[in-house]
Amino acid sequence: MASITAPLGQAQTTAPGLKVSDFFRWSVDHKIIGIQYMATAIFFFIVGGALAMLIRWELLTPTLDLMQNGEQYNTLFSIHATVMIFLWIIPMFAGFGNYLVPLMLGAKDMAFPWLNAFAFWLIPPAGILLLLGWFVGPAQAGWTSYPPLSTLYSGDGQTLWAMALHLLGISSILGAINFIVTIKNMRPQGMGYWQMPLFVWAILATSIIVVLATPFLAGALTLLILDRVAGTSFFDPANGGDALLWQNVFWFYSHPAVYIMVLPGMGVISELLSVHSRKPIFGYRAIALSSMAIALVGFTVWAHHMFTSLTPELRIPFMVTSMIIAVPTGIKIFSWLGTLWGGKIRFTSAMLFALGFLSMFVIGGISGVMLGSVPVDIHLHDTYFVVSHLHFVLYGGSVFAIFGGIYHWFPKMFGKKLDERLGKLHFALTYVGFFFTFFPQHIAGMLGMPRRVAVYDPQFQQINVIISIASFVLGIATFVLLYNIVVTLIAGKRVGANPWRALTLEWATSSPPPAYNFIGDPVPFEDPYGYGTEESVAYLDALEKRFPPPVDTSATLTRAPQSGD
Amino acid sequence: MNSGKSQSTNNMTVLWIIGAFLALIIGGVIIAQATPLLFPPQGSAESLQVDDLFKFMLAIGGAIFLLVQGAIVYSVIRFRAKPGDLSDGANIHGNATLELVWTAIPAVIVLVLTVYSYQVWVSTREIKPNEQTVYGRGARFVWSFSYDVPASSVPSDVEVDKLPPNIQDAITNDSSFPITSRELHTFVGQPIKMVLDTSDTLHAFWIPAMRMKQDLISGRTTEIRFTPIQAGEFPVVCAELCGGGHGDMRASIIVHADETEYLSWFSDQVNLVVYPPDDPVLRGEQVLASGQYPCSGCHTLTALSWAGITGPNLNGIGDRAATVRSAATGETPEEYIHRSLYHPAEYLVPGFGALMPQFQPDAGQPNFMPVDDNKAIVAYLCTQTATGESACDLSNLDAIIAAGD
Ligand code: HEC
Ligand SMILES: [Cu+2]
Ligand SMILES: [Cu+2]
Repeated sequence: MASITAPLGQAQTTAPGLKVSDFFRWSVDHKIIGIQYMATAIFFFIVGGALAMLIRWELLTPTLDLMQNGEQYNTLFSIHATVMIFLWIIPMFAGFGNYLVPLMLGAKDMAFPWLNAFAFWLIPPAGILLLLGWFVGPAQAGWTSYPPLSTLYSGDGQTLWAMALHLLGISSILGAINFIVTIKNMRPQGMGYWQMPLFVWAILATSIIVVLATPFLAGALTLLILDRVAGTSFFDPANGGDALLWQNVFWFYSHPAVYIMVLPGMGVISELLSVHSRKPIFGYRAIALSSMAIALVGFTVWAHHMFTSLTPELRIPFMVTSMIIAVPTGIKIFSWLGTLWGGKIRFTSAMLFALGFLSMFVIGGISGVMLGSVPVDIHLHDTYFVVSHLHFVLYGGSVFAIFGGIYHWFPKMFGKKLDERLGKLHFALTYVGFFFTFFPQHIAGMLGMPRRVAVYDPQFQQINVIISIASFVLGIATFVLLYNIVVTLIAGKRVGANPWRALTLEWATSSPPPAYNFIGDPVPFEDPYGYGTEESVAYLDALEKRFPPPVDTSATLTRAPQSGD
Repeated sequence: MNSGKSQSTNNMTVLWIIGAFLALIIGGVIIAQATPLLFPPQGSAESLQVDDLFKFMLAIGGAIFLLVQGAIVYSVIRFRAKPGDLSDGANIHGNATLELVWTAIPAVIVLVLTVYSYQVWVSTREIKPNEQTVYGRGARFVWSFSYDVPASSVPSDVEVDKLPPNIQDAITNDSSFPITSRELHTFVGQPIKMVLDTSDTLHAFWIPAMRMKQDLISGRTTEIRFTPIQAGEFPVVCAELCGGGHGDMRASIIVHADETEYLSWFSDQVNLVVYPPDDPVLRGEQVLASGQYPCSGCHTLTALSWAGITGPNLNGIGDRAATVRSAATGETPEEYIHRSLYHPAEYLVPGFGALMPQFQPDAGQPNFMPVDDNKAIVAYLCTQTATGESACDLSNLDAIIAAGD
C-alpha cells in the first residue's frame, strides 16, 4: 500500500522509514525523543492505573481484604501517585512539548538535541529505581512523604523513591532549559512572542516554573536522603530538626508542580478548541498572559496545603494568594467558552475531550476555591474531598487534555488518523467513568472519610462501591484507546499532511515530518488562529496542494473537498 | 428604521442577559440547599458558621457550574457544524469589554469569599473565658485524652501511700495530676481548648461533627478550640497518614447533655485512680483500659476490645508466654512479658518487626512507664489464658526487676 502513495508527494515528504527498534535507541531527533517520552509515559500510566484499580478493589469493603495489612495499602497509593505525577503526566507533556515545539516554531530540532536525549534517558532508570523499592520495603508515606513517617518509620524503598525523584527532577530541569532556549532563539522570521501558538506559550510558562521550582524539590529530597542514610536530623525534632521544614520546601515545589501538570494541558486545549471549532482563539493575549500570571502567583500559595499544620497566624496570607490565582484560571475558562461561541464545531474525538476538559476542569476549579478558604479547608483537608479535587484538576484536566492531544496530533506523528468511532467510545466511557469515580468522593470527604485509609467507617461503604465500579469503567476505557492506537498503527489508513486543516506550523510539512522537519524554511501564516478569513482558506488550500493527501483516503468532514472551492 | 431595529435587538440581548443571570443565581441557590445533606451533624457552634460559609460558596460555585456547563451545552447544540458544512466560524479575536467583565466579576467574588472566610476564621478562633483544657495525644495508632485533676478534689479518705508517686507528689504539693481516657468527654456548651501532641509521627485530630481539624506535629504542641452544642457520641478521626494502622486510628467524643452528667463520669474516673484496687491483676486491667498507653493501636485483645493489627494478637498471651516464648527465650513467662515492655526489640515475635515502642521506667524519658504500672500490666497479661488462671509466679517479679536493667 505504501508504494501506491503519490510518488510526487513522496519525493517531497520523505516519510522517514522508521523501524520500531529506532524508538528503543539513543536518538537526538526531537520527534523520536517526543515519542519515546510518550510511549514511556503511557507504559507508566498503565502501571499507575493498575495500582489504582487495586486501591479501588480494596476499598469495596470497609475492612482489609485484598491487602494483608495497612502498610501494603499505603504502598499502593504512594506509588500510584508518584507514578502518575512524575512518570505519566509530567513526561507525557514533555513528550508533547518535544514533538511539537520545534515543529510549531518551524525549527529543525530543539536547541540542544543531545541534552534532550539525555533528559529522556534519565526517566526509564528512575522508573525502575522507584519500582525496585518493592523488594526492599517500599515507600509507604504517600507521594508527599512527610517526615518523620518517611524518615524514621519507612523502609529503604523510601530512599529509592527519593533517588528516583531526584533523577526525574534533573530530567525535568534539563528539558525545561532546552524548551526555554528553543522558544527564545528558534522562532522563525515573522513569529514574535505574540504570534506563537498558545501551546508554545504554555510550555514556556511551564518551563519557567520547572526551572525555578524543581531545585527546591531536589533540596528537600537531599535532606531527606541524608536524614535516612547519613544520620542527620533536619526533620527530626528529637535532635533539633523540624518536621514542618519538609512540608514548606516540598510544597514550595509541589504546588507549582500542579501548574507544571496543568498549564501544558491548557495549551493543548487552546489549540484543540480553536482548530475544531474553526474559530480564532478568543482573547489570545489574555490566555497567554494568564499562563504567566499563574506561573508567578503559583509560587506564593504553597502553604494552602498546610492549613491544618501551619502556624495559625500565617494561614490567612496564603488564603489570599490562593484565592487570587482563581482569577487567571477563570479568564482561561471564559476565553475558551468565547472561542466556542459562534464557531462551527466539529465533533471529533479530540474536540470531545477538549469539551470534556472544560466541563470537568471547572469543577476542580470551584472545589479548589472552596479548599482555599481556611475555615472550610480545616474540615476538608486530608479528606476524600481533596482526593476528588485533585483528580478533577489532574485527570479531568491534564489527562483529558492528553487524550485530546493524542487524537489531534496522532495523524501528525504517524500519518494516520485514530479510529473516530473507537475514539468516541473511549470518550463516552472515560467521561462517565471519570465523573462517577470522582464526583461522589467530594461527598464522602465532607461526610467524614479521610484519605489514605484502607479501613473506613462502614457508613461509607455504599458510596465507595459506586466509586469503585465507576473506576473500573474508567480503567477499561483506557484499553479502548490503547487498542485504537495499536490497530491504527498496524492497519490504519493514511491521511493527508493536515487532516484538521489547522493553521499552526507543525502542519505545514508532511505527516510524519521528514528528518529535519521542513524542506526549506517554512513561513508561518500571519495568525496561528486566523480561521474564518479568505486568506486562511487560501493558505490551507495551497498547503494541501503542496502536501497532497494520499489518493486512497476517503474524504473526511473536516477536510475541504479536493476541488470546488 | 435600521437603528430602530438594532435598538430592539439590543434590548432583547439585555433582557436575555438579565434573565440568564437570574436563572443562574436561582440555580446556584437551589444547589446550595443540599448543604446539610453533605455534612455530618452540626456538633459545634463553629460548625454552624462553617456550614453557612460553605453554603454561600456552593451557591456561587453552583451558579458558575451552571454557567459554564450551560454555555458548553448551548454552544455544542447551537454552533455545531451541520453535515456537509465545511466553512469556518466567524473571525472574531476577542472583546475587550467582555474580557474585562469576566476578569472583574471573579475578582470581586474571590474578594468577597476571602473577607467572609476571614471573618469566620477569626470568630471560630475566639478564646472563651471559661475554657476547659483537654490534652490530646496521638500515638501510632491510638488516641488518648487526659484531664488535669486538682489535688484538692481528691477525697480525704484515700490511702495516699498506695497511690502512684506522681499523684502522691501532687497531693503533697497541692498541685494537679492527670487522668487519661480513651474517649474524649465533655458536655454541651462547654468551650474546649485541646492541647495536642504526638509521641511519634504526625497525626491529625479531626472531629468531623465539629468541623475541626489540627495536625499533631512531632516536637511541638498545637492547639484547637471548639464548643459542642449537641449531646451525643461523634467520631474522632486521624486525618494525617501515620502508618499501617492509620485507618484504624479512631476514637469518640462523648458530649454529655449537661455538666452534672459529665461530672459524674469525671469523678468515676478520678475514683478509679485514687482508689486503686489492691489486686495487681485488676489494677493492670484498669491501667490498660484507661488508654494511658497506646497498646490498643497495635494489639488485639478481645477482653479490652482492642483491635490493632500491627503487633501480635495478645489473646492467650499468658499461655504463650509460658510455653513457646519461654522455650524460645529461656525466660519465665513473667520475665518475658516484663521484658517485652521494657526491651521489646530483644526478642521479636516471628513475623513482626521492631515496631513496638520501648517503654522506660524513669520519668522524663520518652514512653515513660513506672515500674508499678509495668508490674500491674504483667500481672494482668499473665491471666490471659485459656483457663483464666495466671500463668505466672508473680512473687519472682521484684527479684527479676532488681536483677534486670
Ligand atoms: C507501635 C505498635 C505497638 C505498640 C503501641 C505496642 N506494641 Fe506490643 N508489640 C508490637 C509488635 C510489632 C510486637 C512484636 C515484635 C516484638 O516482639 O517486639 C509486639 C509484641 C508485644 C508482646 C509480645 C507478644 C508475644 O506474642 O510474644 C507483648 C506482650 C506486647 N507487645 C505488649 C504490649 C503492651 C502491653 C503495649 C502497651 C503498653 C504494647 N505492646 C504496645 C507493637 C506494639
Ligand atoms: Cu496547591
Ligand atoms: Cu494517626
